[in-house]
Amino acid sequence: MRVSHDIEITPKSVVLDGKQIEVSETGERLLVELYRRYVGDYPKFYKMDTLSRLGFIAAEILLKIEPVEAVILGNHNASIKNDRDYLKTITDGNYYPSPALFVYTLPNIVTGEIAIRHHIQGETSFYVLDKQEDLEPIIHATLNNVPSPILGGWCECSDKDEFNAKLQIIWNN
Amino acid sequence: MEQLIEQLKGQIIEALNFEEMTPADIDADAPLFGEGLGLDSIDALELIMLLDREYGIKLADPKAGKAIFRSVRTMAEYIQANRTK
Amino acid sequence: MIYCLGHNIISPLGEGSEQNYQAVVAGRSGLKLYTDRFADVEPFCASIFAEPQDFVDLCVRTAQTAIAEAGIDATAKDVVFILSTTKGDNLDLITPAKAIAKHFGNMNSPIVVSNACTSGVCAQITAKRLIESGLYRHAVVIGCDIQTRFIVSGFQSFKALSDEPCKPFSEDRRGLNLGEAAAAIVWSAEPHDGWVLEAGSIHNDANHISGPSRIGEGLYRCLRDVLQGVEREDIKLLGVHGTATLYNDAMEKIAIERAGLQDVPISALKPYFGHTMGAAGVLETIMCMQLLQHGIFIKMLSGFGGVNAAIRLRCE
Repeated sequence: MRVSHDIEITPKSVVLDGKQIEVSETGERLLVELYRRYVGDYPKFYKMDTLSRLGFIAAEILLKIEPVEAVILGNHNASIKNDRDYLKTITDGNYYPSPALFVYTLPNIVTGEIAIRHHIQGETSFYVLDKQEDLEPIIHATLNNVPSPILGGWCECSDKDEFNAKLQIIWNN
Repeated sequence: MEQLIEQLKGQIIEALNFEEMTPADIDADAPLFGEGLGLDSIDALELIMLLDREYGIKLADPKAGKAIFRSVRTMAEYIQANRTK
Repeated sequence: MIYCLGHNIISPLGEGSEQNYQAVVAGRSGLKLYTDRFADVEPFCASIFAEPQDFVDLCVRTAQTAIAEAGIDATAKDVVFILSTTKGDNLDLITPAKAIAKHFGNMNSPIVVSNACTSGVCAQITAKRLIESGLYRHAVVIGCDIQTRFIVSGFQSFKALSDEPCKPFSEDRRGLNLGEAAAAIVWSAEPHDGWVLEAGSIHNDANHISGPSRIGEGLYRCLRDVLQGVEREDIKLLGVHGTATLYNDAMEKIAIERAGLQDVPISALKPYFGHTMGAAGVLETIMCMQLLQHGIFIKMLSGFGGVNAAIRLRCE
């Protein structure tokens, strides 16, 4: 296993290959700032839930450097932030279930958003785990079975301003 | 009718998360799907929910949406004729 | 390859793989019309347990039977628990997984596979990879989902549910039925007479997050992968997804034809169990094992996020 590039995004900072990227916003607005700076012409971004925006923008920055064959992500809280947003649309006395929110009530949707944007027709998988290190053996076993490099790592969002992505481009050798 | 069209444009922008768009950017007669705004199938379902939530119109058959959602104007005409709130 | 040491199904049709198989052979269905099960929700047809079930308890019960049949020591360090579920215990996925592993005295971190409707097949592929990589000797794969107001309202907002029993691959199909079940398989590195999991593949359509690719691209690629090394005429059964939505079945048909499998008999089980979501890939694999008894079959699934998966099983 060899990592060629990595990115870490928190509500306050962006670090690409060990180097801090200057940003002015924090939390959810940071993700919009990154979208405007690195993408700008993909309005579907605004339809995404925070988890998908996070993974999408992290992938966008990384995959500009190197394309990948597969996307294998994990986290602890699945799609809980968006699940709660959807729940608000089905409250008693105000029952208007939103299909646009419901579609994001699965954590693997972020892997689908990345696959669509970068035309990745290889594997996409999402795992929900107790801790970040539990993803390592899964990625190791995956690399024995799918072409590399892959985009792998942690993509977590528990609230609109509480998130953490640590994505890597990983090779089998 | 023009007032309803303007109100509807605002509601569509909000429901479909057209973050960087204002009502002035939407042509009332331009197609909503395909060319024009380029909406997709989830957007169509979200518009069905918007009709229910804002105007009390229940659309049982999603296929009926095709003619109604041709443009903002056709939508407004349908609302005016069928609204219950 | 990995070997099946034991399996179990608990569904509204019965408790135990054999009982569920007998129910299906007898033509019984778990599907019923529900008019006031959840507040505000429109009438829907589904396969739901008569008594409300506790998620963890249900998973433990189904795993218990599979583990006993397998005769493995679930407390051992070389055993991993893999849970396939979409919404877990009221939206919580990892906490129930930990509770299940803890119940069996297993100290390893459990894994939850959350790949939408394909999760049950993906969980078995994950088991195969972990075992073949030498990380574990046995994997207890559990698939389970419980129907809630959350899930039913969402599928209704998608206009995906039918209020009649579903009709997979019929011209007049009108949508899917949801279902509840808990199924488990113990997969192992230990050679054993019976079913072996020979190949597995996962591909994304890279097309749309909720609708399948019109040319069935991801699913076709999965089928192409799992067909490597076998002759098409040796495939005796194709366990399709068959949700009975307009688009899913049309896409599956195209993928099957592109893979040259149009003459293989298919099994579509959702008219009996409904779409059991996280359980579907595990439950339907076990049902295919029983329906075929020996030979080679492929089980395939597709789901939200554009993801598709297929596995190939053989029993001499």
